[in-house]
Amino acid sequence: MNSTSASAAVTPQPLFITPPEVFSEFSHHHPSVARINNGGFGCCPSSLISSQRQIQLQWLRQPDEFFFNQLQPGMLRSRNVIKELINADHVDEVSIVDNASTAISIVLQHMAWGFAEGKFRSGDATVMFHCTYGAVKKSVEAYFVRAGGYVIEVPLPFPVNSDDEILQEFRQALEKAKQSGRSVRLAIIDHVTFMPTVVMPVKQLVSICREAGIDHIFIDAAHGIGCVDVDMKQIGADFYTKNLHKWLFCPPSAAFLYCRKSNEISALHHPVVTHQYGNGLATESSWIGTRDYSAQLVVPKVLEFVNRFEGGIDGIKRRNHDAVVGMGEMLGKAWGTHLGCPPHMCSSMVMVGLPACLQVSSDQDTLKLRTYLRDKFGVEVAIYYRPPKDGEVGPLTGYARISYQVYNKIKLLELDTDTEKLLLLLLLLWIIDITGKKYLSLLQPKATTLPLSH
Amino acid sequence: MQHEDPRNGESDHRSSKKPKLSSKFITESDIRDEFSHHHPRVARINNGSFGSCPGSVLTAQRHLQLQFLRQPDAFYFNTLRDGITASRKIIKDFINADHVDEVSLVDNATTAAAIVLQRIGRSFAEGKFQKNDTVLMLHCAFQAVKKSIQAYVTRAGGSVIEVRLPFPVNSEEEIISEFKKSIEEGKSNGRKIRLAIIDHITSMPSLVIPVKELVRICRAEGIEQVFVDAAHAIGSVKVDVKEVGADFYVSNLHKWFFCPPSVAFLYCKKSTSSSDLHHPVVSHEYGNGLPVESAWIGTRDYSSQLVVPAVLEFVNRFEGGIDGIMKRNHDEVVKMGKMLVESWGTNLGSPPEMSAAMIMVGLPSRLCLNSEEDAVTLRSHLRDRYEVEVPIFHQVSKDGEEGVRDKDGFITGYLRMGKCAKCFIRNEEAVMKVGAAFHGINICVLPSF
Repeated sequence: MNSTSASAAVTPQPLFITPPEVFSEFSHHHPSVARINNGGFGCCPSSLISSQRQIQLQWLRQPDEFFFNQLQPGMLRSRNVIKELINADHVDEVSIVDNASTAISIVLQHMAWGFAEGKFRSGDATVMFHCTYGAVKKSVEAYFVRAGGYVIEVPLPFPVNSDDEILQEFRQALEKAKQSGRSVRLAIIDHVTFMPTVVMPVKQLVSICREAGIDHIFIDAAHGIGCVDVDMKQIGADFYTKNLHKWLFCPPSAAFLYCRKSNEISALHHPVVTHQYGNGLATESSWIGTRDYSAQLVVPKVLEFVNRFEGGIDGIKRRNHDAVVGMGEMLGKAWGTHLGCPPHMCSSMVMVGLPACLQVSSDQDTLKLRTYLRDKFGVEVAIYYRPPKDGEVGPLTGYARISYQVYNKIKLLELDTDTEKLLLLLLLLWIIDITGKKYLSLLQPKATTLPLSH
Repeated sequence: MQHEDPRNGESDHRSSKKPKLSSKFITESDIRDEFSHHHPRVARINNGSFGSCPGSVLTAQRHLQLQFLRQPDAFYFNTLRDGITASRKIIKDFINADHVDEVSLVDNATTAAAIVLQRIGRSFAEGKFQKNDTVLMLHCAFQAVKKSIQAYVTRAGGSVIEVRLPFPVNSEEEIISEFKKSIEEGKSNGRKIRLAIIDHITSMPSLVIPVKELVRICRAEGIEQVFVDAAHAIGSVKVDVKEVGADFYVSNLHKWFFCPPSVAFLYCKKSTSSSDLHHPVVSHEYGNGLPVESAWIGTRDYSSQLVVPAVLEFVNRFEGGIDGIMKRNHDEVVKMGKMLVESWGTNLGSPPEMSAAMIMVGLPSRLCLNSEEDAVTLRSHLRDRYEVEVPIFHQVSKDGEEGVRDKDGFITGYLRMGKCAKCFIRNEEAVMKVGAAFHGINICVLPSF
């Protein structure tokens, strides 16, 4: 019997994940919400949720056995996967923590001890950009300032036109610090800023820091992998943290903290202390008391998911970038506005100027507009208020931060369908001359009519 | 065919012969269903370490997790904070706290210890405390707490006093007496005791400590602050924070209170200093009070904190609610413990009134348990070979002190038997398995009953 006779009828298996499969993986997302804020909380495909559930059930089935036999090897596996991904030298340099906020607390607590133990002097400084994430600023206040440190904030020009503008501001700030006689002990640099979002020239910023003799450089890359290239040796920082649930599809939540091997690495500690205290940060972080570690254990499966896409994580990143820049440019054109930075400084997110008629004039307004878009139109998008500078004429004060991730779909206007929705409704608002303040008043409890019923 | 009572509505006529009993309380078969995800053959007598969570609560938790994944921004803005406040209110009522602001939810008791001790560390660093001011703790305090003291107190220049608890113990008075002695020692050389850390139920060996009395002694002796580590308390003993009277009180909700891993409450009595407590993971909520800080420590899964209302529903399906569960757990674990000591000719580590849902059972001296490593080896052996999960404690004999003996020698090992709401294997089955395991290790006779 010729067993190969059936082979003629066999259709070749698709090499990569298909659009219907992608749709299915994210079918748990709210079907009628235009989800253009992946940068906020990330996303997680169904197959990873299932893998995570299996791990959770394994724990619940026999927790002691899991604790003694499976947990540590599982964490080590995850750390090794990350080490490869980020081109770290040694797995000891990679710790897994809940999120970037935890990572910054670890590093800043270490700095606080520096003050308490006399390594640093009162008035020694940390330097960071003014748009550093709010939680990081608070952490600096809680640990660094409280212990006697001083903060130097570097203004981030925005809108920005080139890396040089950023590097210039940074150099100036360091120069001022030098002239005032302050020792800068720590530089905190975002790889991709949160709000407004811009890809920072981290490699050059790290060089400048080294030249200036800054002791410790911490890169907050909450939006790193999956969004920009991440290579620890190339970047050359002392500490680097990245959330894995934002752009690398992990369930909430998991992040890694990379700490370059040095004499100091053994002095870093997780703030939640267990019997593992003193065994190295990576070991300390992999047991911080009884809790659900499944999001951290599922990392190897994340790689499997990502490699179903053409080009793996690099392919996803590239396509996200191209799509979001395309969308941003089209919106900017339709609204007569512009992008917040040139395309090469965009990641998988882009800042698009909002029509001036929306009159965004405070942080409060951004929250109200965002809530309005969510509640009335099912559009989820983060809004940014950019305060006008002295002497500026007619600047744009509002920007939308558009994200693109694999679950967003390109359609009709060659826009993502969700962004289409945003475009159309804002065009409508503009056309029928609803001014900015009107939408704010429409948020009053008594408001019952939508402007579109006009 | 039998005539159907129309009040019954649609029903299977075959079952109408039996009277339909509407069960007011959860049945044994319901309980088996609720814990059907547990390993079917393992005699799980170590609820104390990692706790357990019923299927209906896991379902409620999943629902919350999916809600977040469905639309995380809306969840963050509209659901999360109110949900955590609702859980905190339930706990506040349960523990008889005055105000919901006194109740924070954190991951576990280990996190709570870090919060309290980090503040102590800061007080040393900022000169509020003098070098060599002291923190007092029980010698059998949980290892994580001891390390936390090392990380935050010793490192900052503070000193530590350990209260050596007698074990086996015969009465609360023995503990109180040792405690008083240690305070005296602590105050010698002019040292000030800044904080006393007292377990409500010690972990290993497990004992219920007379916390109310010890806190009273602390106040009388001028100890500034008292932190009660009650990791095992809620769901195994009555928790009344006002009665206990401590400044800080923490208990894990995933051990004996059926929450999924993991969640604990940290109670902080309102005072001028309680505003200076902070969660070590700082977010934009820094400075808004510990409960608010703890309710947002960055993006993560908060579902185990949000699921407390579902847990209360589960607990109230039992006759007597949590009080009924506690009483039955205690009675059963004491019964099980007594069965074993009788057949082995050994002893319980404490009188029954000093145990809650866990009891220490002396192991036959013929096991020759001579070290911590032996205890670990025995535990692994029981798990791998006999499918019995039970922690083993190695009793270090004090110099010059006579230990407890059985017919063959000194008793150097105890197992910590824990019982939780009729988990899959029934009492007798569990005891049989333990007995059979030790018989298999060729040590002693099977318990007969």
